[in-house]
Amino acid sequence: MSTSPTPATDLRRALLDADPKLSRFNPLPRILAHDDFQTGTHGWTELIGNFDGNGNLRTVDDHMRDFRPPQLSSCTFFDTGTHGALSGTYALKLATRPIAGHTAVGIRRLTMAGKGLVQLETYFTYKSEATLGKDPANNSFGGVEWDGNLHPSEAQFGALTVATDICGDGGTRYHTVARYRNTTLDNALDRRWVYPAVPEPTPREHVQGKASLAYLADFTAPDPDDWKPFSDPMELCYNEVPTKVNWHYLRWLIDTDARKNVELQINDRIIDMRDVPVPVYEEKYESLETLLNFYFSVRTHSNVRNFLFLDSVLISVDW
Amino acid sequence: MRHTQTAVLERGEDFSSDFATEPYEVAWAGEARFFVQRLEDTTGEVELRTQISPDGITWVDAENTPTVRLDGTMVTWSVREFGGWLRVSGTVSGLARLRIYLVCKG
Repeated sequence: MSTSPTPATDLRRALLDADPKLSRFNPLPRILAHDDFQTGTHGWTELIGNFDGNGNLRTVDDHMRDFRPPQLSSCTFFDTGTHGALSGTYALKLATRPIAGHTAVGIRRLTMAGKGLVQLETYFTYKSEATLGKDPANNSFGGVEWDGNLHPSEAQFGALTVATDICGDGGTRYHTVARYRNTTLDNALDRRWVYPAVPEPTPREHVQGKASLAYLADFTAPDPDDWKPFSDPMELCYNEVPTKVNWHYLRWLIDTDARKNVELQINDRIIDMRDVPVPVYEEKYESLETLLNFYFSVRTHSNVRNFLFLDSVLISVDW
Repeated sequence: MRHTQTAVLERGEDFSSDFATEPYEVAWAGEARFFVQRLEDTTGEVELRTQISPDGITWVDAENTPTVRLDGTMVTWSVREFGGWLRVSGTVSGLARLRIYLVCKG
């Protein structure tokens, strides 16, 4: 999104450009959060489903009870030691278990002091855990043969997702969601951005008997057929092996006034998302007025741990 | 002000055989403390060892931390100079439902 330059906007951009930590971002007028993980997790925490009045965590939905605690990672690997982040040593890392279908989720919880444009920017990278063994079969996975350039590790990475959970106007709740589906569930490279055509199943729907999902269910949209592409295949920079870290720029713009997606930028590619549907829950929700949550998730489609690394995150608004 | 972070490594899982928690990165921290809680009167015998790793893949017992028995409803122990990763390795006889916290400070 661009606006006509004025002396004030020119000065603002010049001030941003003079700050090495901010010049890499293109924030909207008000910065709500600038999360540089050199100084902690900045409110990015593990998502969990809801529990009963006794704090009994056995009452948490099975598919929302094990999204794993985020980690402050030095991006250290077995072959070269500490890689470090884009700036400084530490990045936020989400890590799955080594179980096909397992998902790790980090969430940040805000509320809305207004309506309008909301933008999330981050520098991210994604890796599968390295396999250390002696089996020649490890040179092949998901149709990828190790040839000195392509590495089977790339096909062991499932998907990464950026999403919101938003509620307002008397309990009207919806999610905006963008997922990079690196591989299909049968581990073939797919590399498309996809969205869910249905709203996420909620703990209340479980209590009401409308939904009951297994431990490894895809919590955002359990039916694979409900995920629809909104891009052509987009090759990113996995960089061959599981131990090289190249940071990608992501900028995602939504409109909370219109309850719509606007656009998604990945490095030099901008995808118009205005026609990507945003499913709204039919029933109203209580206790969530002005809710503005963001989450990142990583989901493995193989029995290999998948990692999503975030160097930094910036959330800005035009209100 | 010092940084602190509490991770819930296991939230109430049933263990009936040997196990190890998922790798957890702690290179930023100077000290850490585990808390292991037994939930809901499960009676399995539990022994716990602190393990460390240079890469998050290959593990070894921490040299200065003894094996800990979970005799009551909760046991705790502290660790220092652990490098980049921590996990707990457990030996279980019978059934034990466990909640495992790792509290780090740097």
